Amino acid sequence: MSKSLIELKNVTMKFGGVTALSDVTFDVKEKEILGLIGPNGAGKTTVFNVITGVYQITSGEIIFDGQSLAGVKRYKITKRGVARTFQNIRLWGDMTALENVMTAADTHKKSGLVSGLFGFPISRREEKRDKARAQELLDFIGIGEYSDRLAKNLPYGVQRRLEIARAMGAEPKLLLLDEPAAGFNPAEKVELAATIRKIRDAGYTVLLIEHDMSLVMKVSDRVVVLDFGQKIADDSPRKVQDDPRVIEAYLGVPEDAS
Amino acid sequence: MFNLRDKGAEIWENQGRVGRIVIAVGAIAIVAALPFMGGTFLNTPIADYESVLVYPIAMFVLMAIGLNIVIGKSGLLDLGYVAFFAIGAYTMGLLGTKTGLNTWEILPIGIAMAMFSGIILGVPALKLRGDYLAIITLGFGEIVRIVALNLGALGRSEGILGIPTPPGFFGIEYAFDSHRIYYWTLLILILLAIWMVRRLSARRAGRAWESIRQDEDAAELLGVPTFKYKVWAFVLGASVGGAAGVLYASKTLFIAPDNFTLQISILILACVVFGGMGNIWGVILGAVILGYLPDRIRFLSEARLLVFGLVLVIMMNLRPDGILPRKKREKAIVKKDAS
Ligand SMILES: Nc1ncnc2c1ncn2[C@@H]1O[C@H](COP(=O)(O)OP(=O)(O)OP(=O)(O)O)[C@@H](O)[C@H]1O
Ligand SMILES: [Mg+2]
Repeated sequence: MSKSLIELKNVTMKFGGVTALSDVTFDVKEKEILGLIGPNGAGKTTVFNVITGVYQITSGEIIFDGQSLAGVKRYKITKRGVARTFQNIRLWGDMTALENVMTAADTHKKSGLVSGLFGFPISRREEKRDKARAQELLDFIGIGEYSDRLAKNLPYGVQRRLEIARAMGAEPKLLLLDEPAAGFNPAEKVELAATIRKIRDAGYTVLLIEHDMSLVMKVSDRVVVLDFGQKIADDSPRKVQDDPRVIEAYLGVPEDAS
Repeated sequence: MFNLRDKGAEIWENQGRVGRIVIAVGAIAIVAALPFMGGTFLNTPIADYESVLVYPIAMFVLMAIGLNIVIGKSGLLDLGYVAFFAIGAYTMGLLGTKTGLNTWEILPIGIAMAMFSGIILGVPALKLRGDYLAIITLGFGEIVRIVALNLGALGRSEGILGIPTPPGFFGIEYAFDSHRIYYWTLLILILLAIWMVRRLSARRAGRAWESIRQDEDAAELLGVPTFKYKVWAFVLGASVGGAAGVLYASKTLFIAPDNFTLQISILILACVVFGGMGNIWGVILGAVILGYLPDRIRFLSEARLLVFGLVLVIMMNLRPDGILPRKKREKAIVKKDAS
């Protein structure tokens, strides 16, 4: 069995009176695609927010790549190898697609403001290298032709994909995708499923939040189910689908509620 | 519709290296020749034309470029920018009168002092956002002026008198009334500032600032050390303001707290907004117009500020993003889509 890239141990997250996550424990193995599902408000996005440092957890522990993430600054968590997309698209609209990816790629640059100002060779080299890499990523995700377009002028589907490319720009070990297929038609979903598998095959580990059951079940190696902030299942897609607790959680909640 | 920004960008982008050099040199030559055009319609009634070129115009341009790094590039509302101008000026005033140092030796010290105060202000203030940041910077601008007003060493309300002019070189003399020499000196500083901003904008720092301005949380979550780059924006903005201050003091020979009121901060902010936040050419144009206009219409005497305000209001209604707005041009692909 391959080892865990990230482990959540008894993670609880309270917002005042609201317990968004309650004693949640699970891990993501290296090179795995883990599906994270649950009804609306189950706490899925909150999992991403606590991993990326948006919120400090109330109790518990998050271990990434062998080290605790407690108190680590958000940009440093990214630098360690976690990058995410946003459920509601949050691209930098006034930048081109390429610049969006390059900005994330700057995470690992050794050269900064001063070497950029004086045009030190290292700055030029890194600039050139990352520009090429950003274009490769856009091509990889299938939106290479849009590289010079401003993000805000891109069609919705391309923006969703650009979110993924931008996160990959930060060279994460763990890629967090928050409903990347939201608003997609069935054909686009099939295409995205293929892309996500391609991403994993390229060596990334993926934690995927998705409402579309068939998509999750198709791409995930394993599925974790949250309901009201609690983990109610953690198993292979087949077993999860037949789990009575999972069926119950989704009863009365139409599958396409969001 | 005719779009000055896109037209200009298009001409520039379609030039090869040689074409660009020709355009740049030509533009600099024209701007450098402005002091000789006092006899034309450009002349300012009542106020001395050449002196208007130095202050307010060139000074405003320099400061607007500096403030634009903070407000236009990074989206940080700084309402106390005059503080850095004052710190540069008082550094010049104090060291120029109390030590044997000359303007050129004091210039880097003044810049360093301004940058240092940029850190002092920035580190606590930049933990806050939006309105809070605006209020703190506003306070900082006032504090600097009030300190100058109360500190004996800074001459209180009398200020500092007898500040030396810069020593000349290569036969160039900085007499206090040889305005064009100061103008050309400022022009060099302006070109340096433009070089700095353009250089940074094209690389990591520029992207970091852009991302912070547009969505700071997303920036932080995608690995941008936002705090560090915000402080950098403040410090670089301050350095430009400080440089302007040193030269200002060395030109007017006399400074007092009254020269560094909130009004200056607001005026420079107006230059940035009026010209086009985030677009360096827009900001320069804004500063030129706002620096020049009040003196050009001075014959209106009392009514001139009213007219000035009216022009501002009308312009901001017609072009809320400024004369040359920031929006970047997309490549030809857009036109194909649109048709
Ligand atoms: N910052 C916050 N302050 C207060 N409550 C919050 C906060 N963030 C999340 N919550 C609450 O935590 C619960 C889980 O929210 P979360 O966004 O994680 O759900 P989700 O599973 O992503 O839902 P969806 O499928 O609708 O995206 C919700 O009840 C929500 O109201
Ligand atoms: Mg969510």
